[in-house]
Amino acid sequence: MTFKKFRLFAMLLVAFALVAAACGGDDSSTETTVASGGSDTTVVAPPAGEPLKVAFVHVGPVADKGWSWAHDQGAQFIKGSLGDAVEITTLENIAEGSDAQRIFEDLAAKGNTLIFGTSFGYMDPMLAAAENYPDTVFMHATGYKTSDNMGNYFGAAEEARYLSGMAAGAATETNLIGYVAAFPIAEVLRGINAFTLGAQEVNPDVEVQVVWTSTWFDPPIEGTAAQSLLDAGADVIAMHQDSAAPGQAAETEGAGWVGYNTDMTEFAPTAWLTAAIWDWGPFYLETANQVIDGTWKSEAVYGTMADGMVALAPFGESVDQATQDVILEREAEIKDGSFSVFPDPIVNQDGESQPLGDIQIMDYFVEGVIGSATG
Amino acid sequence: MAARRFIVEPRGLVSWKVRLLVPVLSVIAALVVGAIFLALTGENPFDVYGQMVDSAFGSSRALSETLITATPLILTGVAAAIAFKMLVWNIGGEGQFIMGAIFASGFAIWLGDGAPAYIALPVVIVAGGLGGAFWASIAAIPRVYLGTNEIITTLMLNFIALSFMNFLIFGSSSPWRDPAVSTFPQGRPIPESARLPEIFNRLDGGLFIAIALAVGAWYLIGKTTWGFEVRIVGDSADTARYAGIGVARKILGIFLLSGAYAGFAGGLFVSGPVGALDPRSLDLGLGFTGIIVAALAGLHILAVIPVAILMAALVNSGPALQSIGVPTATVTMLQGAILIFVVAGEFFIRNRVRRLEPEPTPEPVEVEAT
Repeated sequence: MTFKKFRLFAMLLVAFALVAAACGGDDSSTETTVASGGSDTTVVAPPAGEPLKVAFVHVGPVADKGWSWAHDQGAQFIKGSLGDAVEITTLENIAEGSDAQRIFEDLAAKGNTLIFGTSFGYMDPMLAAAENYPDTVFMHATGYKTSDNMGNYFGAAEEARYLSGMAAGAATETNLIGYVAAFPIAEVLRGINAFTLGAQEVNPDVEVQVVWTSTWFDPPIEGTAAQSLLDAGADVIAMHQDSAAPGQAAETEGAGWVGYNTDMTEFAPTAWLTAAIWDWGPFYLETANQVIDGTWKSEAVYGTMADGMVALAPFGESVDQATQDVILEREAEIKDGSFSVFPDPIVNQDGESQPLGDIQIMDYFVEGVIGSATG
Repeated sequence: MAARRFIVEPRGLVSWKVRLLVPVLSVIAALVVGAIFLALTGENPFDVYGQMVDSAFGSSRALSETLITATPLILTGVAAAIAFKMLVWNIGGEGQFIMGAIFASGFAIWLGDGAPAYIALPVVIVAGGLGGAFWASIAAIPRVYLGTNEIITTLMLNFIALSFMNFLIFGSSSPWRDPAVSTFPQGRPIPESARLPEIFNRLDGGLFIAIALAVGAWYLIGKTTWGFEVRIVGDSADTARYAGIGVARKILGIFLLSGAYAGFAGGLFVSGPVGALDPRSLDLGLGFTGIIVAALAGLHILAVIPVAILMAALVNSGPALQSIGVPTATVTMLQGAILIFVVAGEFFIRNRVRRLEPEPTPEPVEVEAT
């Protein structure tokens, strides 16, 4: 056995390293020039006459008809409103975590002035990319970190969750609602609690049983989880997932279903009750306009039902008129601020009254939820 | 039987030219097929290929990102190559990679901020190797002494390692989990002294450590007595036994070495670009991709290095193609075509297709079949 043949590879490698070192010197200086080309303000509007380049980065496929799809609808809303004044790039199936920094920097280097990352796990890589590209506006959904040129945004899904809970509470006959949930984090716990309080408003005897899947989008696991809840006696399934699989399980068993993210009626037309859904379009358009005008400022935006970022999906056939009326009345009160979803103090899972606390770091269940708030 | 015009026969000695020419032709064939497909779907193949090259090597940033992606692939590729070469079917690189990352981040956190970099860095890298070797040993020891099938055990251990990492971050208040973050469970950042310094752009020193380790593996197996004996075991266990070589211990050794290399990859990845035991950053299939790299490299240890770099270029070009409007499915198809053509090309490296001339030989060997 001879190993002489590897010499060429070794040489190639050395050549590679040399090229790398050589390029390193050159190119970084070009980048600095580009960076210093901007004005002193954090945000640089695109030169007049050129379209604003906007990029979207999604963790899943935009065809998921769930979370990523809802954001993609928002992107199309910008395009529909601004037409040739914007140029939109969409990247899907981009893994979260440190590897995503490359993606964000690549988009910034290609001249995108406004970049949206629509998944929690993009937070730290986006923050690092924002530091390296100070003239690009970064917008991160669902996180909690901001910087001079990185804002974050999310919405009060709990408001619509409460209303969808009312529909579920009215629909259940066994007084047991199954809830297929992703991860035991504040966002999800908030949703479960609001949903449960809503269900209890119309049906004080109702209980909500939670099953954790540790997935956001994994149809087989999420469908199986829903099935296990149906087997345990639940006759309505709610969910904090991006797939429609729990609804399809409910449809098969003749149970009711409260979805999430988008109007998913088509997946389970009989089971469908309603859902908390997202409408990102107006917010995305506003952000794009701010960047065009040069008025964008880094902030943490928390949208509501009142401003339209969060909405309630159309009701399914099985939701009777009386129930719809009660829910719509509550919706009006939530929108005008006369009703708030969470009472303070609040009764926790153990039946004890406790202060509500900051709902952004909510880590407990309310009374009537069966399951563990720590996963 | 006169209809049979072509014959496939194994090449004896494979010449240097064939070794190099066939993969190059394979890639060209894949690009031609891809170009037809792209043209049919309304893309300009030249734009697409130009973008692919540009996104992987077109700027210092692109090049450094390609090398960052290549770093763990070099080591998981070496891990697979050394094992497969010796007929040890360790497909547990993924799990060994994760266990390496768990060990490396664990030791980094345990050492804390106090340790200087010249202690912390070696400890973290060695810990990665130990973690990988430990995880491999769970499959290796039963394989060697009880004859269990390592394909099954190493495959299953991948899932256990992944679940264990998820447990450490999502399911428990382990030292790996960041106590400062309550909104979403995350890995605790390892101390700065245990992080590999960045050399240019985001590229850290991990690349050079990976290359050095790969060269080390090549030297160990190709140039030392131990390596010579291991290669005899790989060629023929019976021959090795007659020669008085302890076959079991050699197989165990190569298995653990393979695990250690996958573990080094995990350690360097944590110490380099990731900086924490972050399941989202680590669960990229780098261990599995290492198997493809090894196969494309023909299981030659040093060939793994350039193949890993090209593989990284191919992987990284995906999002860049999406950004010029090529659909995700088309991107995956293109990447898949290139891989399949190259792997299929291996067939032509080992065999030759020869046209069967109507030979006027007097030998009437090819009798008509009854």
